[in-house]
Amino acid sequence: MITFEHVTKRYPDGTVAVEDLDLVCPTGQITVFVGPSGCGKTTSLRMINRLLEPTSGRVLVDGEDIRQRNAAELRRGMGYVIQQAGLFPHRTVLDNVATVPLLLGTPKREARRRAAEQLERVGLPAALEKRYPYQLSGGQQQRVGVARALAADPPIMLMDEPFSAVDPVVRGELQQEFLRLQDDIGKTIVFVTHDVDEAVKLGDQIAVFATGGHLVQVDTPERLLAAPADDFVASFLGGDRGIRRLTFLASDRVGLDSADVVERPEALGPLREAGRRWALLVDADRCPVAWVPTDSGGDGRPVERTFNPAADSLRVALDSALLSPAGRGVGVDDDGRVLGTAAHADILRAVTDEVARTGRPRAGALS
Amino acid sequence: MSWDWIGSHGPLIGSLLGEHLYLSVVPVVLGLVIALPVGIVCARYRRLYGPVLAATSILYAIPSLALFVFLIGITGLRNETVLIPLTLYTLSVLVRNVVDGMRSVPEPVRDAATGMGFGPLRRLVQVELPVAIPLVVAGVRVATVSNISMVSIGSLLGFGGLGQLFTTYGIQLNFFTTAIIVGVVLSVALAVAADALLVGLQRLLTPWAPR
Repeated sequence: MITFEHVTKRYPDGTVAVEDLDLVCPTGQITVFVGPSGCGKTTSLRMINRLLEPTSGRVLVDGEDIRQRNAAELRRGMGYVIQQAGLFPHRTVLDNVATVPLLLGTPKREARRRAAEQLERVGLPAALEKRYPYQLSGGQQQRVGVARALAADPPIMLMDEPFSAVDPVVRGELQQEFLRLQDDIGKTIVFVTHDVDEAVKLGDQIAVFATGGHLVQVDTPERLLAAPADDFVASFLGGDRGIRRLTFLASDRVGLDSADVVERPEALGPLREAGRRWALLVDADRCPVAWVPTDSGGDGRPVERTFNPAADSLRVALDSALLSPAGRGVGVDDDGRVLGTAAHADILRAVTDEVARTGRPRAGALS
Repeated sequence: MSWDWIGSHGPLIGSLLGEHLYLSVVPVVLGLVIALPVGIVCARYRRLYGPVLAATSILYAIPSLALFVFLIGITGLRNETVLIPLTLYTLSVLVRNVVDGMRSVPEPVRDAATGMGFGPLRRLVQVELPVAIPLVVAGVRVATVSNISMVSIGSLLGFGGLGQLFTTYGIQLNFFTTAIIVGVVLSVALAVAADALLVGLQRLLTPWAPR
């Protein structure tokens, strides 16, 4: 657990980078510091590993004032990942990753063995071990940066815009892998970003900073989207706040109807008579094939998106319905077999119910 | 060209070549030993760099012959009279390159090193200096080649390595062109060989540099 107690950082020229910050970053969770540039989020992060010292106030790690600790030793116990990766250009990938274990006095062979393990863990092929950083792509460099921070298995990870410098596709991959990794390792992570979507995607808890170093709101992503503390937070969160909130609501209570699911075209007649214009054709395994019109005129339409009530959010369910010519979302099980379909209206009713029922946020974002 | 002269003066030419090498390499080594700490300090305390740079530039601007003549009064007619000015010239080239080398360390690299728990000394030795090598070696190459050409001037004092072939054995012997040609060819060959050796050394030291 990392605790900020009345932390202020003021520079000699009078600029206040962080003002009276009180914040707790819980053990085993991802706390995201988000805000516009110049809001003090990076300054706050750098006070955790004493790259900067507070002008007043204290930073505690597990209750202990970090000023009691030798700065270099303190830092070796905290993984540190930065935007440009900051890999050592003169060391191979493997030796870059082995850096902190070597600083801690681990014998070279053992340090390299652990480094190789970490590289595998972040999804880098062993063939890259002997390469130098200039021979890697931006995404690979960031992965090495993460592996390097993890190599000595520190309980705390400090990450300063680690995925900001790579293209959006790679960023998405890195974020997914990062969440999967965190599921395994459960580190106490402080993650700085200026990207609200990234904050919502990754954070267990989000701290929103405003220009001038004020902490404006600390909340779970769901609550932040549902109830921004003020206009600044609301405008910073941007548009589609309501829609994005659906990401935090499970779709497992959406009522599914299998009346319009057919295996053979002969079954279309009764459906037409029942007033349904579209039917969902499935194969022998009940996997979706296409939406077909019941009046046998016109072509079928592809099933563009399905949702799995056991795993996906209401956002996915609603998207599935909006993309279907029938206006119905297609629910499938883990193996992709159709469970039934639901109309927009049913899904929106589930949204209302879910908001009323939970009223409280979930632990993290669903897909 | 008098090939006979070359054949009969082999040992003389060899010893002049040896002296030439000695007089040009020793100042590079001394210059590097002094330039490294000076450059490191200048890179860290930027305010020092201006005055230091001005001082070394002024040194560099003093005509070498004037400096030699001035030093004769202090050190007399010895090797050192040639070594000292060349060391000073080397210094003015190398201080600049050491500072540039230290500044070539990308800020994120320095930040990452500190953030991972490198102390200042360890960071200097294990990260900053290795990353500065390409620019430092570039300076060493310039200094070495320019020293090899400048040593000849020392021949006016009797310590000029191959330069003696221009003065003592060339001009003073009725413009004996063979000696002069041998001196020029060997000086150039020495410079080219030394530079090639340093390029090889750099590749060996920096397998990590993109090329």
